[in-house]
Amino acid sequence: MITPSGLAETLLWGVANGCIYILLATGLSIIFGVMKLVNFAHGQLLMLGAYIAFTTSVVLGLNAYVAILFAMVGVAIIGFVVERLTFRKVLGTEKLNEIFVSLGLIYIFENVAVLLWGNKSAQISSSIPGILSLAGISISYDRLAAMGIVAVILLSIVLLMKKTKIGLAMQATSQKSDVAKLMGINVEKVYVFTFALGAALAGAAGALYGIIFPFSPTLGALPTIKAFAIIILGGLGSIPGAVVGGLLYGIAETTAGYLLGGIWSDAIAFVLLIFVLVIKPTGLFGGKGD
Amino acid sequence: MQKKILVAIATIVIIVVIASAGVWQLTQQPTPSPSPTPTQTATSTPSPNARSIRIGLVAGYQLAEGQDMDRAARLAVEEINAAGGVYVAEWNTKVPIELIIVDTGKDTAGETVGPITRAVVEDRVDLLIGGYTSAGTLAGQVVAIENRVPFIITGASSNLVTRRGPQGNFGGLAEDDARRISDAEGMSYMFHYCTTTSDYSTTVVNFFAETMKPLLDSTYHFDSSRPFRLALIYRNDAFGKGVVADTKNLIATRNLPIEIVAERSYQTTATTFQTDLTVIKDAKPDAVYVVDFIANTAEIIKEGRKDVGLNTVYIAVECCEDPQFYTLLGEYGDGVLLESKFASYAGPPFYLPAIETYVANYKAKYNTLPGMMGADTYDAFYIAKDAIERAGTLDKAAVRTAIEQIDLPQMLIMTQTGTIQFSTGTNYHEILPVTFVEQLIYNATLQEARPKIVYPSTVPVVGPIKQADFVLPTGYQPGSP
Amino acid sequence: MTNMARYTKSFSLRLLCSKQFIFVIVGLVFIAVLPLIIDSEYVISEVLAPMLIFAIYASSWNLLACSGQGSLGHAAFLGIGGFTSALLAIKIGVPPLLGLFFGGLFSAAIGFLIGLTCVRLKAWFLGMVTFGFAVIALTLVSQFDSVIGGIMGFRTPLIVPRGIFFYYFTFAMAAISVLIIYLIMKSKLGLAFKAIRENELEAKMTGINTAKYRLVAFVLSTFFAGLAGGLYAQYIRYIDVSIFSPHFSFLPLMMAVIGGLGTISGPLIGSVIIVSIDAYLPRIDPLMQGFVGSLFPAVSNVGPPIRMMLLGIILLLVVIFAPKGIHSIIDRAYVYLMNKRAAVRQ
Repeated sequence: MITPSGLAETLLWGVANGCIYILLATGLSIIFGVMKLVNFAHGQLLMLGAYIAFTTSVVLGLNAYVAILFAMVGVAIIGFVVERLTFRKVLGTEKLNEIFVSLGLIYIFENVAVLLWGNKSAQISSSIPGILSLAGISISYDRLAAMGIVAVILLSIVLLMKKTKIGLAMQATSQKSDVAKLMGINVEKVYVFTFALGAALAGAAGALYGIIFPFSPTLGALPTIKAFAIIILGGLGSIPGAVVGGLLYGIAETTAGYLLGGIWSDAIAFVLLIFVLVIKPTGLFGGKGD
Repeated sequence: MQKKILVAIATIVIIVVIASAGVWQLTQQPTPSPSPTPTQTATSTPSPNARSIRIGLVAGYQLAEGQDMDRAARLAVEEINAAGGVYVAEWNTKVPIELIIVDTGKDTAGETVGPITRAVVEDRVDLLIGGYTSAGTLAGQVVAIENRVPFIITGASSNLVTRRGPQGNFGGLAEDDARRISDAEGMSYMFHYCTTTSDYSTTVVNFFAETMKPLLDSTYHFDSSRPFRLALIYRNDAFGKGVVADTKNLIATRNLPIEIVAERSYQTTATTFQTDLTVIKDAKPDAVYVVDFIANTAEIIKEGRKDVGLNTVYIAVECCEDPQFYTLLGEYGDGVLLESKFASYAGPPFYLPAIETYVANYKAKYNTLPGMMGADTYDAFYIAKDAIERAGTLDKAAVRTAIEQIDLPQMLIMTQTGTIQFSTGTNYHEILPVTFVEQLIYNATLQEARPKIVYPSTVPVVGPIKQADFVLPTGYQPGSP
Repeated sequence: MTNMARYTKSFSLRLLCSKQFIFVIVGLVFIAVLPLIIDSEYVISEVLAPMLIFAIYASSWNLLACSGQGSLGHAAFLGIGGFTSALLAIKIGVPPLLGLFFGGLFSAAIGFLIGLTCVRLKAWFLGMVTFGFAVIALTLVSQFDSVIGGIMGFRTPLIVPRGIFFYYFTFAMAAISVLIIYLIMKSKLGLAFKAIRENELEAKMTGINTAKYRLVAFVLSTFFAGLAGGLYAQYIRYIDVSIFSPHFSFLPLMMAVIGGLGTISGPLIGSVIIVSIDAYLPRIDPLMQGFVGSLFPAVSNVGPPIRMMLLGIILLLVVIFAPKGIHSIIDRAYVYLMNKRAAVRQ
């Protein structure tokens, strides 16, 4: 049964879910924009972020929202190590190698998580329980907080890209990495920083995800696909594209589930993807040449 | 000249590989099973042929339920071996059980065949116990059937696992081939010690019709002709669809005053259910039947109550009877219903004395409370012990017959007759379990909910089991009048 | 380069050519004779037969990757082939052997359609789209469950009885498939694929219709993947939607890459390695549990996660340090030995 209030709630959740995807997609997009690298194990970084946040909030008794910082730092370190040990070695070789490295990382991350935390589902207990209800539509405070935090993080990223030295270096490298090298920019340093930054964003997304949804070691695969669908929708390398794409995707997902039935929620990502790629292979916002 | 050297090297390599393969094979050849000596004198000296009984535990260790089965199995084997083992009359002595782990990963159809084949053909197990998913069990049991290995299936919600019928074709052998096993004979080695989807649904719909509907009618002054409004939300796989099909079937055949007002399913990989819950909320149900495993059920209930504002009665399926369920639900477990067959949390004191000892021993050994899957598995080991002792031999056909003739008093799982017996009609080699409904009540000290049995009031043989009256949860909103 | 070195080098080249042929013959004889030596029913049915089936599957993926298209959703075609062959036999009564080929054909037909959308896509897009197609295939098969019955699954009618007959049947299928793939890769078609993989832009500039060749690669690859799917359904003797899972999409990739991407023997080597790991390493699970189990209290059986992690690590090591796979390591070792022998001779 389709009702206006039902539809309104669906849209609202689409937006709320979309926010977490946006964070994930932005990280992926930044990495792609600067390094032209595609990391299929990005969703696993989200999963690790959720587990790190979970462990710190349980072991140290910290507020769930403070644990986000730990997750960001932790996953950034993992990203740093991964970039230096693996991706750096295959950058510049054929593109398929990046896919293979990602796959290897997926297997490693997932099974390390299983060994450390087991197969069970876990969830981070939230510090702001309760729902806000207006005009027949309800949304939990957790989701509202998540939306706010995502906005804050995005703003910081934008400031970072535009105002700091490293941010400008990233922008320069993303446009023309050989010219950037000539200008004296340490491209390797930029790469490692970018990857760690993208990973940190994934970690934050994971920590937020873990407060709202239950998670387990096999979490990574679907969020990765969704993040990809979003950046392809929005255009590779574009942050505004990731934001709009994320919101659109979130809404499409919940609406498809509402109208067509729950079993289509996941597949919708691909149907959308294929549709966009067939019509406009550079994405809705056209992006830099891929 | 170079070619000759080449050929020589190749030949040497081949010989070495074949030789090592042969050596490997020889070292892998297990000691042949002793053939029973027909002339058994009435002495009390143990036979030199005596060996330990190899029982394979078929469990998916990547699933939490599989780990519960593992713990229960080890507990049972330890207990049995501590008492000397299983008495095998043929050898005039007690022998211990050797537990062989048959890890089937996530228990999907592709993952069960290999491990079960190895257990049957290489490890030469005498008996198999376990199985979790229906598809995995159906795929993997074929090897056991072909090799005539008794398999006590303690999982699988579908009764197809013991269904005789046009499924034959084992081994792909022609009808007149002597090695071909007829369906009737092959299936005779399969036993299903578990509840099936119709067992769950029967109790649930009866509960709604007999207990909840009258309570609603009196509390809200509904006319008694108003049908009970039920919504279904389920995972889109054999398990979910099976329960839903049985539920609808039961309502129709028994003419129950229940109307299905909403029905939503989702992919097994789903993690969020808001859209489905919104649609159900708009359909204004009196209760929602959630058919999924622990993590998703807990998530559905939480999202429903916390996010969607669907303040109704939720009823979960017995597979959620597990410590993790209570932990994940937290305070949102208050008022939630759980159809169950093994209530390790509804006590002490428990409705069945066997449960008292089992829970205490399990807790002492593993520092956690047991779940439902383990209970079936635990019982199955004792069933195997009893059958082997009555057969007096490890000969598989004899053990199979002994299991079929079993008549033990019930253990951890209650049955309609108070005894463990396997049916022999069309519904083949199944048991008649008793299932009941619990209601969860939040305990502030534990920060988790704990169940109390609310339906039925009494069961055959055990008698009264009800521990509390069913109450409408706080904030409950009925469906539309 | 010294005269001696040049002499050795040309000898090595000639050796390589004849070596290949001899090895192939020896290899075929070896595989044919194996079951007569190994007396274990388990090894023949559960280790050797799947090695052959996955050899076909991995080779099909490899063929596609040779044209620069790394599919992450090959499980879709494995499943389509499997379901088609089984359903044709059960519902319409098509003889299972014929059904096997129809499974491959139908899979190729779908491959054609998917290939159409993929031909102009870059590597990562293609990976995403193919992965997505596997998800869509799963969803569709689940949606039409009343007709297909894939959720609970069903037993598949057999072509040949289990055991040694199935082994030889699979052997024949694998030998023919790999031979055909070999011929394709050595032909002008194969050269075109290679050129596209190396540099698509340059290939286009030399006049190759890259879109057409990529599509051809897709159709050929998915035919064999569908064939492998039908054989897999025969081997398990069951089929259900779990065949569409990502695990089956990643397996051929791992086998081909670890064995040696782009080579003929690479996928075969990879198949042998990975099937062996899955078949034999579980035996040391109790040992591993004893040694390191206490470090990881959250799991009851540390074996499987450690094994899968190992696969990931091996994949990483191969891609980073030996991008041409184990095949190249074997090759290098062989050439080194032959050079040493030739040098000693001089």
